[in-house]
Amino acid sequence: MSTAGTRRAAIALTLAGLLGLVALYWMVFFWVPTEVNQGVVQRIFYVHVPAAWTSFLAIGFAALASGMYLWLRDERLDRAAMCAIEGGLVFATLVLTTGPLWGKIAWGTYWTWEPRLTLTLLLWFIFLGYFMVRNATEDPEKGKRFAAVVAIVGALDIPFIHLSVIWFRSLHPEPVVARPDGPTLPGDMLITLLFGVLVFTTLFFGLFLFRYAVEGLRSESDLRARSAA
Amino acid sequence: MTTYWKQVWVIIWKDLVLEIRSRERIASMAAFAVLAGVLFNFSIDTTTTRTQDVAAGLIWMTLVFGGLIGVGRTFQLEAEDGAFQGVLMSPAPKDAIFLAKTAANFVLLYAMSLLVLGVFAVFFGLEVGSNFPWVALVLGVGALGFVALGTLFAAVSTGTNMGETLLPVLLFPLLVPMVIYGVGTTTRLIAGRPFDEVEANVRMLGAFALAAVAAGAVLFRYVVED
Amino acid sequence: MNLTFGPAPRHDTPGKNMKKFQTRSLVLVALGLAVVAATGVAQESADAVQNAGLARQNLRPYWHVFAAYSLVILLIGGWAVSIARRLKALEDRLLD
Repeated sequence: MSTAGTRRAAIALTLAGLLGLVALYWMVFFWVPTEVNQGVVQRIFYVHVPAAWTSFLAIGFAALASGMYLWLRDERLDRAAMCAIEGGLVFATLVLTTGPLWGKIAWGTYWTWEPRLTLTLLLWFIFLGYFMVRNATEDPEKGKRFAAVVAIVGALDIPFIHLSVIWFRSLHPEPVVARPDGPTLPGDMLITLLFGVLVFTTLFFGLFLFRYAVEGLRSESDLRARSAA
Repeated sequence: MTTYWKQVWVIIWKDLVLEIRSRERIASMAAFAVLAGVLFNFSIDTTTTRTQDVAAGLIWMTLVFGGLIGVGRTFQLEAEDGAFQGVLMSPAPKDAIFLAKTAANFVLLYAMSLLVLGVFAVFFGLEVGSNFPWVALVLGVGALGFVALGTLFAAVSTGTNMGETLLPVLLFPLLVPMVIYGVGTTTRLIAGRPFDEVEANVRMLGAFALAAVAAGAVLFRYVVED
Repeated sequence: MNLTFGPAPRHDTPGKNMKKFQTRSLVLVALGLAVVAATGVAQESADAVQNAGLARQNLRPYWHVFAAYSLVILLIGGWAVSIARRLKALEDRLLD
């Protein structure tokens, strides 16, 4: 994919995502009804969950790209993994900041060891580890390989962490009265949630492509600088 | 096939002999086990908490921190003496080297875990008794998962400028399943519950360990290549 | 040096593109915050009718919702801006 094509797709997706975000905000504040038990603060759910979904999408995508990078050694795959993880870090941060904002009102505490929140916290550290490792080597190629390994092992561990945290939680139930993200989510709330997921995914890919194009430009300019020197 | 396992065994034997001779890691891990028990004793308020209730958690955390010390030094010898090139040029396939290093680390960590169990049983008045074989099994399975991931990421961290300090950052998030299932199982076993109750969790722990060993064996070559 | 990255825009310089992007993103951010603030007020009156029974109106949940939805814009927009800034730095470097 040429850089111009990537940039066009990036702009298109990002704009679509931004428009979708405006629409989402409208839906959240003017359309969807207030949840009975938690009140208005439950509306944070409509960005909290899509952000979580997007961050897990990011690690999955990055792990796949990393695996293929280790196999094929195509720089573009490593670049894609890095850009995805950067995006994942942004959305994971969003989850970890909106979660306590929601939790303080809904459940009385800033932090609960709720499975999704806990998993995202650990995922955040996996993302952090990716960048720490990538930037801590003298040889940048080594750093890319190390980072790829971190992404792959991180993604493989996610299911285990998920199951174990859920089991742990079943032993120590939190005093949650109503959880509006079970299968009994009413129609319009479900629509808003799914639309939120769509918007965030679009935004993620739009900005990912943008980042990817910029990174491609950077490595090409580095190459030219080195060959010119 | 037998050459493969022979190579693995040779490396295990070399590492263990070196370890026994120098006693570097064994000594620090053993001292850590006992001293951790001492410090933990002072950190628990026995008027409000029964030591038996928290002992399992403390055992596993001691394993994690003590294991970190041990596993972090896995490749130190090779890195210091420049012996790593020699290891890489050896006819042994990379996954064989990984399995060997992991097995050697496992021996060390498992020995330490049994020591921790004994010391903590004495310090905190635990009655492991009848369930001891099961506790020993759980500790072993958990230790296996730990050393597999630890050995892989020790190779990674040794190859960076930050060295061992990077290891906990990379390793701790991944160890959550091991801690959850390990502590959950050990608590019940120490409390005298039958093994059937915890069998499912031990299976999960085993699956985790197996996945860790497999992932390490596959990915190790990408970490150590030139 | 022939730097072709596909059909280049004829009449815009990279700096102009950057400015356009910045203004656009600022407008969107301002719009977003205005929407969030306005709806906070609208929601308040709407919910006040629902919760008429309560003796004391606590506005804290609304602040939390406002904060959360502002964070969405700040974090995602922040990422977008950082990418754009890197792009600008690159384009500056390439023009040297």
